[in-house]
Amino acid sequence: MDLDLTPEQRAFRDEVRTFIREKLPSEIRERLRAGHPPRKQDTVAWQRILNERGWAAPHWPKRYGGADLGPMERLILLDETYRAPAPLPQVFNVGMLGPVLMKFGTPAQCDHFLPRLANLDIWFCQGFSEPGSGSDLASLRTAARREGDHYIVNGQKIWTTTAHLADWVFALVRTDTEARKQEGISFLLIDLRTPGITIRPIHSIDGEHHLNEVFFDEVRVPVGNLVGQENKGWDCAKFLLSNERTGIANVGLCRERLDYARELAGRYTQAGKPLLDDPKLRADIAMLEAETRALEITNWRFLLTDSEQKRLPAFASVLKLKGTELQQEINALLARIVGPGGLERRSADEVTHGPIAPRYFYSRAASIYGGTTEVQKDILAKAIVG
Amino acid sequence: MNFELNEDQAALAESLSRLLADRYGFEKRRALTASGAAHDEKTWAGLAELGLTALPVPEALGGFGGGARDLLPAMQAFGRSLSMEPFLASAVLAGTALRLGADEAMQTRLLPGMASGEIVSAWAHDEPAGRHAPLWVETRAERKDGGWKLDGIKSNVPAGGLARYFVVSARIAGAPADANGCALFLVDAKDAGVALREFRLVDDTAAGELVLTQAAAQPLANPEDSTRTRLAIQGTVAAGIAAVCADMSGAAQAAFDLAMDYLRTRKQFGRLIGENQALRHRASEMLVSLEMARSMAMAAAVAADDASAEDSAPDLHRAKLSVARNARNVALGAIQLHGGIGMTEEYAVGHYLRRIHVLDQMFGDADAHAARLAAALL
Repeated sequence: MDLDLTPEQRAFRDEVRTFIREKLPSEIRERLRAGHPPRKQDTVAWQRILNERGWAAPHWPKRYGGADLGPMERLILLDETYRAPAPLPQVFNVGMLGPVLMKFGTPAQCDHFLPRLANLDIWFCQGFSEPGSGSDLASLRTAARREGDHYIVNGQKIWTTTAHLADWVFALVRTDTEARKQEGISFLLIDLRTPGITIRPIHSIDGEHHLNEVFFDEVRVPVGNLVGQENKGWDCAKFLLSNERTGIANVGLCRERLDYARELAGRYTQAGKPLLDDPKLRADIAMLEAETRALEITNWRFLLTDSEQKRLPAFASVLKLKGTELQQEINALLARIVGPGGLERRSADEVTHGPIAPRYFYSRAASIYGGTTEVQKDILAKAIVG
Repeated sequence: MNFELNEDQAALAESLSRLLADRYGFEKRRALTASGAAHDEKTWAGLAELGLTALPVPEALGGFGGGARDLLPAMQAFGRSLSMEPFLASAVLAGTALRLGADEAMQTRLLPGMASGEIVSAWAHDEPAGRHAPLWVETRAERKDGGWKLDGIKSNVPAGGLARYFVVSARIAGAPADANGCALFLVDAKDAGVALREFRLVDDTAAGELVLTQAAAQPLANPEDSTRTRLAIQGTVAAGIAAVCADMSGAAQAAFDLAMDYLRTRKQFGRLIGENQALRHRASEMLVSLEMARSMAMAAAVAADDASAEDSAPDLHRAKLSVARNARNVALGAIQLHGGIGMTEEYAVGHYLRRIHVLDQMFGDADAHAARLAAALL
């Protein structure tokens, strides 16, 4: 039993750290450190730099532009990305659609899309949720009927993160309305420039525009854009939702935000004294650091150990639950630290004044997306109670 | 990075679990407590037979030279079975103090007997006024008639009544909280001036208050070497933290298992209570806490073994804090899920809370470790 990196892993970590230090534009780093979300141009610019090294999609095979990295190396890369902090590779492209295409797509789809996904030449968003289908995803109603070489899509998606920035959407649509609810679903790639598509912004509780509604009105999608078999889209969706486990705990994010909390608590003062002088605040930071360490080791234990995965196949829900809880507590702590100094609404151009309070508001989404906290608890209860 | 037991560790854990299942079922443990015995002699003999008492003793002195990692599964098994054996007191604490603080002659005199289980020793360091301060020593040592005499009171000495020897910290110079000026001594339980007020802790385990009045004492090594003394105390406390973290995680696992069984068998309103979402969600929260406790028990073991590693000191504090907190959550949840039966002394689940509460108070409670980590932030 040990918690050390091997000499090779340590060398890899140093290599990544040096790479990021040398290549990451300082303006991007400063924006993220202050708590701004990455802008589209930041994510694109950084992902292309990473892609030259094969690190934009590190777990993909080399023939598709990945680096074939194992789980520990992926974690190191992710931790160093958060530590910098640098933008994450675009998750819908790299973490979700890429692996689905490799598993279910045709060779032509793989050859066409994978290099573009890795280099972020195409920005995909995810069209899963609908107004009537949140946690109960399989109840979705957006329909696609076959007409010759096209599907005609009608319906509505909601909570579509970055749809307003995206070129394409991968969407779950109902191709058989008679079948049981999981069995009539297909997985389609849809070019957002196609006539009949309307995107409307949803402003979230942080006052920002991340989310959208996407409406489909007689939208013609070539049948060649079907991934996998017709009516078997649920298999793609299940695979997609369970495939991405490396980043689910967000340990690196927790650490980076805690480091920033320490930094701010040393900088913000109350009645002339740094907030860090307050033993209660320090103890709160220490407690969150201890729990983050517990999550980090739990993350390693499950991601790296076959016997642990076998013991608790639903382990991803443990990681999501704890990771979400910590992220939210840490964002609340940051908002507490900036206090009255974080109340003024500022423009995103003010790099040094990050949206700490708005980000705290938006952190509430973490226990809602990707399977709510309550859904994760249902999953775990099934595993342990039956 | 590696999270699996090696072959020896797994084999020992299995033999120990068999022994404890046979000797330490909850009913047997209750009978043992009721009988007034401080522990079960046959189990202790069994531990010696398995080589467990010899595990932490250096190979040159008849042991196996094992560390906290090797002890982890064993301590978890003790926690699961609510063991009352003096293993923590003697093999872990007194043994570590002797290994780190005693000269060769003293080690040769005591450790082989402790390895074979024939000698039980106890670690007498905590004092009432120190509370959770790690290095608070008021007990005085003075040179007299060519030897040393100790005066002072040591509180909550685990397994005190079973010990033939006490390893006692005492001050030669300085004020109670000074990091230096202390030495470690061996005190024979039978000597004049050594009085033990025996009692049970709230988890039924045996302990005592050691009152030393001009008690004869032999220094473990050069008493002037207070740096070595300090390192020996810190190393002993580190070994203790790793051991009780493992024990608490084992206790939490057992409480969790009982609660899950109960959810699957108890019926109310015509159906299994485990069908109720509120209870199912509570069970899931307990699982998350349990997994955190397991992880940090591992962190504590690694930190205790690799004391010089960068993460070692903070990991020990974080582990004690996190395991205590998470294991307690599991025990509290397990009692709640049981309802009334969970409140009774004749049912096992409440005993895990009692055990975790006692172990949380040893070597600094969760608050004390949070405060120490917080101080290090400055």
